[in-house]
Amino acid sequence: MSSDDARLQLLYAPHVTSNTATLATYKWLCTSFAGSIAGVLGLENYAGFALFVGSIVLTSVGVWVLLCGGKDVDRFVQGGWWEIMNPGQENIASFILFWTLFYGIVHVYD
Amino acid sequence: MALESLYLDPAIRDWVLFPITLVMILVGVLRHYVTQLLNSAPKAQLRKAIREQRALVRSQILRATAAESPIPPTYYHSISSSLSSAFAAGSFLKDGPPKEDDKDRTPPNPLSDPSQMEGMMDGMKKQMVMMVPQMVIMGWINFFFQGFVLIKLPFPLTLGWKPMMQRGIETPDMDVRWVSSLSWYFLNLFGLNGLFRLILGSDNAAADQQSMGASPFAAASGAAATPGAPQDFVKLFTAERDNLDLSEGLYKWTGADVERRVLEKWGKLPKSDAADSVVPAVSASKRKTA
Repeated sequence: MSSDDARLQLLYAPHVTSNTATLATYKWLCTSFAGSIAGVLGLENYAGFALFVGSIVLTSVGVWVLLCGGKDVDRFVQGGWWEIMNPGQENIASFILFWTLFYGIVHVYD
Repeated sequence: MALESLYLDPAIRDWVLFPITLVMILVGVLRHYVTQLLNSAPKAQLRKAIREQRALVRSQILRATAAESPIPPTYYHSISSSLSSAFAAGSFLKDGPPKEDDKDRTPPNPLSDPSQMEGMMDGMKKQMVMMVPQMVIMGWINFFFQGFVLIKLPFPLTLGWKPMMQRGIETPDMDVRWVSSLSWYFLNLFGLNGLFRLILGSDNAAADQQSMGASPFAAASGAAATPGAPQDFVKLFTAERDNLDLSEGLYKWTGADVERRVLEKWGKLPKSDAADSVVPAVSASKRKTA
């Protein structure tokens, strides 16, 4: 068997599940607050999506420094950096929802 | 493209924007709890049926870690050989060892097997609980909130989106960014999944599964393939027996040469590479007496 399978065998399932859930929560909070900020600031088009990407990078770095202690990411998350940074369809939709909501409240309505 | 700025009545925001979002959140939570209530308790299966399934799982667990196995050889070989002989003799089978005639080897038809019908009905009930509220809300929005512009999207879309986003508003020239209430419904539909995961926990029944990629057919096929009746355990056991034999070939205990590894790690024994392993025993004993 490859060494990958041997490493997989050593993973403790409840920890993996809780890590994944924590990461998912932080990603959602990050994208929804970023959406709200983008909406309140009145960012449009590319500026809004740039804020989205920037907030993802900031959150990933924050997770790495504070939760992983600045150590090698592979020790904590299977799949490395992409797993931490990838927002997924659900969070992109949340970003757009909050962005539209706050943009509408602040800038479109009197 | 003229970015004209329409002035919208704040009453629209108070009476349409917030109510739609609120209703969708509440209906989602309601769906989750209704699904939980509808969950019938898992039927108690016969001990023999459970034993049949568990035997398969036991051998799979054994095989999964065979190459770096945590269990010493005596245990591994005894478990492996006892499982193998039990599979061959068919002593774990629910209905006893297989008889000689092959006539009734056909797996039971899912539609006629009562236990499977319940599984499929459960799946369909869950699908209905998911779909009906969505359709009802869509009808409600179409009836009450039709024909006016609700909100402006902060990002542009192509003209192809116009019929969908501005359904009910007959203005050929207006920017696609001004959208109707139905598109706000869709935005909420996709965007609230994360909120549901936060307040209801990971496996909630409120999140929209279809948009997440899981096909609606997965529920029906999953119900039909639940461990049990349609699977022919005789064939499964023979296949598992072959797999067990294969794994015995791969088997290696992780603690097999642990003494050598510990000594090497602490430097008491010279590291033996394949390249220069030329009778290390002679030099070791010479060093000891010196």
